[in-house]
Amino acid sequence: MYTLLHGFYKYLVQKDEFCVLILGLDNAGKTTYLEACKTKFTKKYKAMNPNRITTTVGLNIGKIDVNGVQLNFWDLGGQLELQSLWDKYYAECHGVIYIVDSSDRDRISESKETFDRMIASEHLTGVPLLVLANKQDIPDCMGVHTVKPIFNQNAHLIGARDIMLMATSALTGDGVDEGIRWLVDCIKRNMADRPPRNRQDNL
Amino acid sequence: MGGLFSYFRGLLGAREMRILILGLDGAGKTTILYKLQVGEVVTTIPTIGFNVEQVTYKNLKFQVWDLGGQTSIRPYWRCYYGNTDAIIYVVDSADRDRIGISKDELVHMLREDELANAILVVLANKQDMAGCLTVAEVHQALGLDALRDRTFQIFKTSAVKGEGLDQAMDWLSNALQARK
Repeated sequence: MYTLLHGFYKYLVQKDEFCVLILGLDNAGKTTYLEACKTKFTKKYKAMNPNRITTTVGLNIGKIDVNGVQLNFWDLGGQLELQSLWDKYYAECHGVIYIVDSSDRDRISESKETFDRMIASEHLTGVPLLVLANKQDIPDCMGVHTVKPIFNQNAHLIGARDIMLMATSALTGDGVDEGIRWLVDCIKRNMADRPPRNRQDNL
Repeated sequence: MGGLFSYFRGLLGAREMRILILGLDGAGKTTILYKLQVGEVVTTIPTIGFNVEQVTYKNLKFQVWDLGGQTSIRPYWRCYYGNTDAIIYVVDSADRDRIGISKDELVHMLREDELANAILVVLANKQDMAGCLTVAEVHQALGLDALRDRTFQIFKTSAVKGEGLDQAMDWLSNALQARK
């Protein structure tokens, strides 16, 4: 009886869990962005010193609660040889955050090519995409007006999914909040196609 | 004022982190432990049982357990899992034949409830050897892409040359501090 009630209680209070991939070239600021998210949405979270964040070769995870749902972040390494591992996560994710280093003009086209390869994957069809023009704190960086046209090419690949390009600075935390809230709204709308991770068994 | 400051610092630095170094026999676990502790490459013999040392790295204290890696003693690893903060899993990158066994042991180990919150560091060791596996290959061979709920990081290391260990310990101490 206790187990039954307890189980029912847990069923009532459990939040929907969604998984979000954080991708982008190496040194785009993915891990810093993850830390910024955790800082914004977790009370009393002591963020890692940004100076001590190193190149990721592996996986960083993070959990935040926002608008009544739980987001699980997967922050993967962005180096060329590690990009082949990204697709292992595509089928299970509910949203993708793609981070662009707006201060690195030399690699913007490489970033765009990587982005195209990513969205061409059939496992990502219909998954909401948030593209972030990061490092807006750097004075000489490209603004949204410059980055947006670059990523707007190849509209046929983007298809019918939700996509948004925003300016952010993971370092100062500007734009982090808006981006996450936008993404959560889209993920909720997309729930029929991609049900929450913890409710998949019930359906 | 200074006393107060050092009091709080003492509080922060007081807890000793418990770390296990695991991996197949001959991966270089003991060499890594002593490289970390005394900064030298010592001559080792296969560990039967365990070595335990206290390692201080950037004002963090670690209690590091290096457990023997031979087939017959791997079942005893689990006796040491309780209260573990982090696992350093050492792989011999030059040993392509046994990477599969290494994967099985890792998968088996990560299923344990007691290690659910432990941070994982994979050291792709023996990078000084010719024809060794790259980081991405180690990642794939160990099936790490199946991990979803655990922070982990892979480092290229060469224990005998002392390469990569600093980066690994740096990352580990950051990750452990952020987790608190």
